[in-house]
Amino acid sequence: MTLHARVRTQLGTLGLDCDLSVDAGVTVAVLGPNGAGKTTLLRVIAGLVPVDEGRVECDGAVFEDTATGTWLTPEARRVGFVFQDHGLFPHISVLDNVAFGLRARGVDRKTANAKAHEWLERVELATYATSRPSVLSGGQSQRAALARVLVTEPQALLLDEPLAAVDASGRLELRRALREHLSPFAGVRLIVTHDPLEAASLAERVVVLEEGRVTQEGTFGEVSARPRSAWIARMAGLNLLRGAVSDGTILLDDGSRLTVATDIRGPALATIHPRAVALYRQAPEGSPRNVLRCNVAGVDPEGDRWRIRLDGPFPLVAEVTPAAAADLRLAEGGEVFAVVKATEIDVYSL
Amino acid sequence: MTRGVTRRPLVGLLIPAAVAVLFIALPLIGLLVHVDWSNLPSQLVSGDVLTALRLSLECSIIAVAISLVIGVPLAYLLARTSIPGRRLLRGLVTLPLVLPPVVGGIALQTALGRTTPIGTVLDHFGIVLPFSTAGAAIAEAFVGFPFLVITVEAGLRQRDDSFEEVAATLGARPWRRFWRVTMPLAAPSIAAGAALCWARALGEFGATITFAGSFPGTTETLPIAAYSSFEGSGQIGMAITLSLLLLVISVLVLVVLRDRWLGALR
Repeated sequence: MTLHARVRTQLGTLGLDCDLSVDAGVTVAVLGPNGAGKTTLLRVIAGLVPVDEGRVECDGAVFEDTATGTWLTPEARRVGFVFQDHGLFPHISVLDNVAFGLRARGVDRKTANAKAHEWLERVELATYATSRPSVLSGGQSQRAALARVLVTEPQALLLDEPLAAVDASGRLELRRALREHLSPFAGVRLIVTHDPLEAASLAERVVVLEEGRVTQEGTFGEVSARPRSAWIARMAGLNLLRGAVSDGTILLDDGSRLTVATDIRGPALATIHPRAVALYRQAPEGSPRNVLRCNVAGVDPEGDRWRIRLDGPFPLVAEVTPAAAADLRLAEGGEVFAVVKATEIDVYSL
Repeated sequence: MTRGVTRRPLVGLLIPAAVAVLFIALPLIGLLVHVDWSNLPSQLVSGDVLTALRLSLECSIIAVAISLVIGVPLAYLLARTSIPGRRLLRGLVTLPLVLPPVVGGIALQTALGRTTPIGTVLDHFGIVLPFSTAGAAIAEAFVGFPFLVITVEAGLRQRDDSFEEVAATLGARPWRRFWRVTMPLAAPSIAAGAALCWARALGEFGATITFAGSFPGTTETLPIAAYSSFEGSGQIGMAITLSLLLLVISVLVLVVLRDRWLGALR
């Protein structure tokens, strides 16, 4: 079973233009900054927003196809949507909430209630069956919302920012619980999040969506090790450079050159870990080949590592110990020399 | 904003404000002072008063029922859809609020009177609205239903349609969403709107007397009976008793619905 979504649509200022394939049994996270179109993508799949052009198909069932004029109403799609605010109906009990989907699909009250109760037990909320959702904590209401969609046995499960409505202190435990409840679900599992931690902990595969377009796909490790966009690089804490490689040198877009240790040629991306950037007040002796004359643009202390933002031929971030930062009097700003070894620059084709 | 400088009120504002309070309170006090308390019980259970009370309740409840059946759907359309001319429609709906009730009564007469096209058709089925109990109910509904529409529309607008979206993704079709989600969530505002509508209908005078007249037992509701005894037969004692009855009902409505109404509008 696979979910295919090819979506081209304009919604206000956001142009969404992406292709997405999600296989069943693998949790996929759509990761991207706010306003990238992640929620819109989910709403398109659920049928809450029509697209200008495209096709959405799940397990052979065509939900929407602008070429043939096909469009299934949200209620006709077997999609479980866990909304960001969980969307539990405030006027009915937790049990009635969980039974709602079954009742809507014509299951008789007795069977629906029995199944709903079974699910409430599974998510450890049986004691709240007769309570109103307003008494539930963030984590509990999320589990109730999850139970409410899973009880209907959907083909695809869509979760919009699953931990956004939960306060930060409970997230650790909730990520674990959520993972536990997601893994038995055999259908398509698609999560949308702006939080790299959530993507890393919940998903086996990550699709990066920026400004309505997919910029990168892969495991979280692959994506964060070799970012293809400035946003991902920042998320992964790496310096990202773009240029063209020839004969052991990368010519960057700004015209500067760095010596690199690579066999590849042509357009490429390069990352430099901030810790691989060494700083000196005087131009270093000897002949290290990548010396960049920079100005200190800012200092952000982060625990036992201080991040030094540098203005040079291109913006660069270095990480040094607080002691080193003090020795070099970096907090006073001024000119520094940044040195990067060729072997510390990771180069990969664009 | 309520801190600091505005804590100490301007003394100059206290006087007109006190006059305002007296302005409302004095007539009510006057009414209470002139109640003939010793004869009150016997007057209240007299045939005339009970007849007028029964008629008032009948007409006002029918008026509320009519308003609910046609007003809630209208409020839903105004709040949730973008039908063309919506703003104009909203203005039209609120017109009875500001229209002098007498004008409403005359307008109803010109639209539903026996000689009008609609009146002729109704006549054919043996239904005569002017000067009938049904006509009184219609007049009360005409004046009262804007209160319901406005309150329910405000209640519906207060929420977006996200719960309807949730219901849709859970497999609920449009009518199920309407009855199981939209309506229950709007229930507080519907109750508040119905109460306001009922209170307005109960006190309705101008449109009712113009369209339905004042026939004891048929169209003479409490306010009309109060006016008749005051103006016609000079029985000011009876008029005061009837006024007291209406006042008590009004206060009850206010007390019972205070939290609910404010809750829905808040």
